[in-house]
Amino acid sequence: MSTPHVVVIGSGLAGLTAAHRLMAGGARVTLVTKGLGGLQLSQGTIDVLGYAPGRVERPLESLASLPAEHPYRTIGAEAVATALGYLTDVVVDDLLAGEAAQNVWLPTAVGAVRPTALAQPSMLGGQCVRGARFVIVGPKQLKDFHPALIAGNLARTDLPDGGRLDARPASFDLPGRDHEVDSSGLTYARALDDPAFRARFAAAVKPLVEPGESVGLPGILGLKDRNAWRALQDLIGHPIFEIPLPPPSVPGMRLNETLTNGLKAARARFILGSKVVGFAADGDVLRSVTLGEAGRQVVIAADAFVLAAGGFESGALDMDSYGVVTDTIFGLPLVGLDAPLIHGDYWGAAQPVFAAGVAVDSSMRVLDGDRVVYANLRAAGGVLAGAQRWQELSGDGIAAASAVIAADSILGGRA
Amino acid sequence: MNDFAHLAVTRASLDNCVKCTICETQCPVMAVTSKFPGPKYIGPQAERFRNGESVDHSLDYCSGCGICTLSCPQGVQIAELNAQARAVMKEDHMPLRDQLVSRTTVMGALMTPVAPLANGALRIKPLRKIVQAIVGIHEDAPMPVANGRTFEAWFNKRPKRTTPAPRGALVFFHGCAGEYFEVETSIKSVEVLEHIGYEVLVPKQGCCGLAQQSNGLFDTATKAVLKLCDELTSAGKDLTIISSSGSCTGMLKHEAHEIMGVDDSRLKDVGTRIRDISEFLLELHDQGELPEDFQRIEQVVPYHAPCQLKSQGMGLPVIPLLELIPGLTVVESGANCCGIAGTYGLKKEKYEIAQAVGKPLFDMVKATNEGLAVCDTETCRWQIRKGTGVQVEHPVWLIHKAYGLS
Amino acid sequence: MRRLSADVVVIGGGATGAGVVRDVAMRGYSAILVDRADLAQGTTGRYHGLLHSGGRYVVSDPRSATECAEENAIVTRIHADAVERTGGLFVVTPADDLEFSDRFLRGAIDTKVPVEEISLAEAFKREPRLNPGIQRAFAVQDGSVDGWQMVWGAANSAKNYGAQILTYHEVVKIDTADGAVKAVHCVDRKTGEDVAIEAGFVINAAGAWSGRIAAMADCPDVEVVPGRGIMIAMNHRLVNHVVNRCVYPADGDIIVPVHTVCIIGTTDVKADDPDHLSIPRDEVQKMLDDGDLLVPGFREARAVHAWAGARPLVKDARVSATDTRHMSRGMSVLDHAERDGVKGLLTITGGKLTTYRLMAEHVVDQMCEQLGDPRPCRTADEAVPKSESGANYLVTHRLGEREHDRLDDQVLCECELMTKKMFVEALDEQPRGSFDDLRRQLRLGMGPCQGGFCSMRATGVALETGHIDIDRATELLRLFLKNRWIGLWPILHGEQLRQTALDNWMFHSTLNIDHLPESTQEVAL
Repeated sequence: MSTPHVVVIGSGLAGLTAAHRLMAGGARVTLVTKGLGGLQLSQGTIDVLGYAPGRVERPLESLASLPAEHPYRTIGAEAVATALGYLTDVVVDDLLAGEAAQNVWLPTAVGAVRPTALAQPSMLGGQCVRGARFVIVGPKQLKDFHPALIAGNLARTDLPDGGRLDARPASFDLPGRDHEVDSSGLTYARALDDPAFRARFAAAVKPLVEPGESVGLPGILGLKDRNAWRALQDLIGHPIFEIPLPPPSVPGMRLNETLTNGLKAARARFILGSKVVGFAADGDVLRSVTLGEAGRQVVIAADAFVLAAGGFESGALDMDSYGVVTDTIFGLPLVGLDAPLIHGDYWGAAQPVFAAGVAVDSSMRVLDGDRVVYANLRAAGGVLAGAQRWQELSGDGIAAASAVIAADSILGGRA
Repeated sequence: MNDFAHLAVTRASLDNCVKCTICETQCPVMAVTSKFPGPKYIGPQAERFRNGESVDHSLDYCSGCGICTLSCPQGVQIAELNAQARAVMKEDHMPLRDQLVSRTTVMGALMTPVAPLANGALRIKPLRKIVQAIVGIHEDAPMPVANGRTFEAWFNKRPKRTTPAPRGALVFFHGCAGEYFEVETSIKSVEVLEHIGYEVLVPKQGCCGLAQQSNGLFDTATKAVLKLCDELTSAGKDLTIISSSGSCTGMLKHEAHEIMGVDDSRLKDVGTRIRDISEFLLELHDQGELPEDFQRIEQVVPYHAPCQLKSQGMGLPVIPLLELIPGLTVVESGANCCGIAGTYGLKKEKYEIAQAVGKPLFDMVKATNEGLAVCDTETCRWQIRKGTGVQVEHPVWLIHKAYGLS
Repeated sequence: MRRLSADVVVIGGGATGAGVVRDVAMRGYSAILVDRADLAQGTTGRYHGLLHSGGRYVVSDPRSATECAEENAIVTRIHADAVERTGGLFVVTPADDLEFSDRFLRGAIDTKVPVEEISLAEAFKREPRLNPGIQRAFAVQDGSVDGWQMVWGAANSAKNYGAQILTYHEVVKIDTADGAVKAVHCVDRKTGEDVAIEAGFVINAAGAWSGRIAAMADCPDVEVVPGRGIMIAMNHRLVNHVVNRCVYPADGDIIVPVHTVCIIGTTDVKADDPDHLSIPRDEVQKMLDDGDLLVPGFREARAVHAWAGARPLVKDARVSATDTRHMSRGMSVLDHAERDGVKGLLTITGGKLTTYRLMAEHVVDQMCEQLGDPRPCRTADEAVPKSESGANYLVTHRLGEREHDRLDDQVLCECELMTKKMFVEALDEQPRGSFDDLRRQLRLGMGPCQGGFCSMRATGVALETGHIDIDRATELLRLFLKNRWIGLWPILHGEQLRQTALDNWMFHSTLNIDHLPESTQEVAL
């Protein structure tokens, strides 16, 4: 096949990365997605591995020590490095910095210290290292950012380098618009794209900063204007950094918009709002998927398919009221379903159910035991079994690397 | 009046909401005003507190554009929930204005015979001020420009077609705007379909009821849409129905069913047979059946995909279709909404919001156009024309031109 | 050591104890109520929220039925803000015997419980989701009541009459001398302080725990059998009336619309320890099946939370000890002077939430009799604070209130529309409260996201308003999430599992809450 037509299902990090890689490799891509993908629910950085279960400093070196059923064992460190390099290139606008091989430690919105591999340049000033001096500052109208909680916890944390840092809270009054008392992070981000609002924001922050301090601000420093944070930093006159918030995550939106717009510009067909409701196969070859569009069902035939619809968080995996877990799209065989899937200890081990998913071979083809289910179906991202993405902080690296392998193997590079 | 709205079948979909805020990030109204609490708030969140009576009138600031439903990864029918809640709210006090702007056939039929006068009248500020005061349509709101002739008059009076139609018959659904206001788009659509070898049938047809639906008048809208289904089917069973009215197509495809709960085999039949014209032409292309002897058009054309087209969940067929024309570059607006949302932007209390919603789109169109922008639905074209001063037409105009028909 | 004294000490802050303390205070006695936890944290807060019309007992327990009908009207009036007059239906499902419905109707007439048979068409008009196969339907005057709000209403009323309400005061010892109760010793669980209360009279209203209390006063063998029942809250109101199955009282036969949710209940299994109640998966499955019979599709709807409560049923030798439903639901008062030779101590157990006021009236009457000091009960005559207007609760209330103050206040818990002002006011009143204490009054974290978005906000606000320090803030957040999980994990499937996936994503990944610093010293929560 000269120009293969590939249907990618899902528009999270895995789906977008796969679609980009496929388009770049000359495939024709139709990306179908029930709704917007999960990137804007994420922290807007790219994790590789944060905990295994102990703290991980150099993630690529730690992958080999993961359990055999972990997707990283199939993916391998090399693919992760390739994928992160690829992402850094695809995500234009200087939006990702860092390296796959080395974690950095950044504060979260409750003041925990969190490892990640690639971060947005606007966050890197917040590296939690011995002797750092932070003032954590936020507007009172933003209910998802509490400087006292962040500073209080950061200041009492033993850092990975064995030291401590200084952090104190401060806040100021500035609605995101009008006289709002309850402005969302996104409202601020949009406002901060505007130089006039930036100036008012900087004027409110600047008096709160003491010499030698770096300023930790909520992750709201501009949406469309990638340099808004730099402009703000110049106005404030001290180093600043962003701390990602729970959804709506502005840093996540930046990544999502950059990747999505790039795909649209490359003329991938992007079908938003329609769910895959069926499929047709001949033996071990998947022929088409059926989309439930408005009023009717549409059959989309393709040469290859990438299932990148996520796990339970998107509904791609579902557990019914009897406890039966299914892949809601293709009904694929799942692994990791040994009971009990859920236990009662909240602070205990990660819930087994969230490691359920599909098993894949080295080219991300879905397996039923040793048998490939469909020769032309690859899976990527959250649907892969064996990872506790949220506790391990491994989801982004798995998504990007499995997507790259899936795409490359469709394109003939590895299969 | 609205038994269905009370029953709220759509309500069940609120169970899918995980509060992820994706709908809020995409809502064009929430982005420009704090008067509107947002789709998550008035949709799955407020719905848990509703029981027959209406206590949250701020939901009326929802424009009904449907971007929330489209963006929701969890399958919550947010816009539909809101439309139903609005219908319950409006039951008790329907402003005269909401009744007037929603009766598009009446408006068009009254205006057509005296088009120059009507257009003139609507352009005279003092008169518009009076209209605003009485019925609450904003004095600067974009209003349709009535055409001197109706599409029906053109279709019936033109010379009998003599060229063969090897591909068989299609039914053309013009919609109210296509009949009275955007007559040229209807004509070009028919000419394109005939050019590529179809016989085009145009049965007598009324309104789809969309405007009444979006204003919460479900009863009248239901009657209208079912009558229309009978009319469209009267031209021949099982025929594909083509429309160049993107929003009316959406009403027939899914909105009448999903928002008003119309559960009628006639609607289901028509809903599965109807195609947006660009969708139809692209399907032909995908099957290798579209004549592609297009003439070159060296032009950059900004394209805005209207909410009601996007919500049909078929992607954006216009872009690959138009880019089959050599030389043509399409620039997608990337804007979620132009602000008008049917009749929303006509209303005086919402006019400013609608203008603010449309502003990024207007800026983009102004910056990228080379004399023409395209958009699939009528009211959006009026809004963008008004907001930019740029000529804005249906994409079929470019196909028509590229086939050498104009 | 703190020393207090009162005419009457009431042990137990559930509905019964709150009713008793209000009653004694209104009769002019000085009174102190103690509970080892928060008010209504036990059985009162762990039920389905039904304010009985009496219909449920017209066949099985006619006396209870009549009492319920009478008390329903009183509670609806005096606790107006806690009661929603939903109305109720008894329906005969395809699985039920029509013969019982004749007995039901006759029983209703005999017990004076208002019941009206309605046409099936009318039943479907009122509740469109009902099983289309129902054979017969009756309308009754069931309502729903917020047990926490009701108890706080009674407690606040008692405070207005001079009573003291001491929550988190655990009774550790009861002094008796000369055959009479003299003092109650407590430990303040928030501060560790010992508290001694000199008592003229003690009323033991400790519910499932009342045997333990009685034993402290040398009154052994008060056998209260905890009957464990589980309840499941569904994400939204699938019904707007209480829907009862028209059968002899059984498991899973009631769906009650309470606030924004509807609750199915309940099971009834003998439990060994009221402090450790499980929510077994098989009982969850049974509830879902039972719900499906009343409202088809119930099983596929979203379950958000489950809990178990322990009914305090006084053992009755007539039936097997493992079958608690058939014990007396009626209240029983144990006179320890007569039973054990200990004067000044009465134990009140049994009964049901709907008749809590009447139970209090009975036991306080008995106390007055023993004291030779007859004073009339006035609890039915006067509404509790915030219910004076007589306006009953409507589910639309919070939505309407936010419509007015949305632009002036932050909504911290979006699912349940709880504002920052509401939260801070509650904190001001209960500065040492846990987030669960506040939740019971505010519904914080009780909606679909189960704390996913609001718990971090609540923690931040409590910290920034100076109510707590960073150690306590972090521990309270941890505790809140842990406690939410107790009622989540047994019912997780479908959409609520999807919600949990997003919540886990936010907490464990985005916020990395697992790696917050541990406190260096013990934080008393």
